[in-house]
Amino acid sequence: MIKIWSMKKNEDAAAKRRPKTSAAQIRVQKDLTELELSSTMKTHFPDPTDLLNFTLTITPDEGMYKGGAFVFSVNINTNYPHEPPKVKCTQTIYHPNVDLEGNVCLNILREDWKPVLNLNSVLVGLQYLFLEPNADDPLNKDAAEELRKNREQFIQNVKTSMRGGNMRGVQYDKVIVQ
Amino acid sequence: MKVHVKNWHAIAQWRWDTGASDVDDDGEGDVCGICRVPYEGCCPSCKMPGDDCPLIWGECSHVFHMHCLLQWISTSASKQQCPMDRRPWVTAERKVDANAAR
Ligand SMILES: [Zn+2]
Ligand SMILES: [Zn+2]
Ligand SMILES: [Zn+2]
Repeated sequence: MIKIWSMKKNEDAAAKRRPKTSAAQIRVQKDLTELELSSTMKTHFPDPTDLLNFTLTITPDEGMYKGGAFVFSVNINTNYPHEPPKVKCTQTIYHPNVDLEGNVCLNILREDWKPVLNLNSVLVGLQYLFLEPNADDPLNKDAAEELRKNREQFIQNVKTSMRGGNMRGVQYDKVIVQ
Repeated sequence: MKVHVKNWHAIAQWRWDTGASDVDDDGEGDVCGICRVPYEGCCPSCKMPGDDCPLIWGECSHVFHMHCLLQWISTSASKQQCPMDRRPWVTAERKVDANAAR
C-alpha cells in the first residue's frame, strides 16, 4: 500500500510537469471514432494534429437544399463536453435557422445541450436542418416568413440563393456542386 | 527436476457494483456518459481509478464518475439537471447491496 501511495505522488508530480492531453481531447477522440458519417457528410481537419477544430461539409441528397454543399466550422473548446461545440456556417446562405453571419439555431447547440450528447448528435442535427428547415424558431426572419406564407416562393428563393443570387440587397454564396 | 520460482506477479481485478441487475456485455452500458471512460477507469482529471475517483448515483438511476458529474452540475447551463435525462439531479442514497454475497 505504501508503495502505491508513493507511486501516486510521483505520478502527480509528473502530471504537473508535462501538459497532459486534455479531457476534451480524449472525449473528442472517442466521439470521432464513433462518428457514423453518411455519404452526405464529410469532415476535414486542416491541422491533423488538432482534433478540436475542423470543418464539416453537408451535401443534402434530398429536400430543397439538394445539390448544395454547405460548409460549417466546428470549434470545440476545452470545456467539452460540458459546453457544446461552436458551429458556424462559413457561407452566406438563405435558411430560416441560419443567419447571414452563419450563426446556427439548433436546440442541442444551445439550451438543450447535455454532456451525454456527442459529435454524432450534432452532425445529425445539422443535417436535419437542411431536410426540415423550421420556421418556428428563426434566425433569418425573412426566410422564415416566406417559408410559412408561401412555400413555393421559399423554394424558389432557396434555388436563387444557392446559385449565388442577390435578393433584397443580400449577396448569397454560390453553393451548388456539379 | 527442481523449479525455482524467481518472481511472480499478483493480478487482481475489481469493478464498481453499479447496481445494474445483470452485467451487460454490449460495452455501451458501463461507461460514464460524460467522459465515455469505463466506470472502472477514472475520470479525465484523475490519475488512478479507485476510491479517490468514486461513482455517483442519481435517483433517476443514472451513474457517472462523481468528478464528471460535479463539473457538469457546476456549470450554469446544466440547470442542476441529470446529463442523461435532464431531470433535476438528486443524488441517491447508495443502497447497501442486499445480495452482496452472491
Ligand atoms: Zn466520467
Ligand atoms: Zn476523478
Ligand atoms: Zn438521469
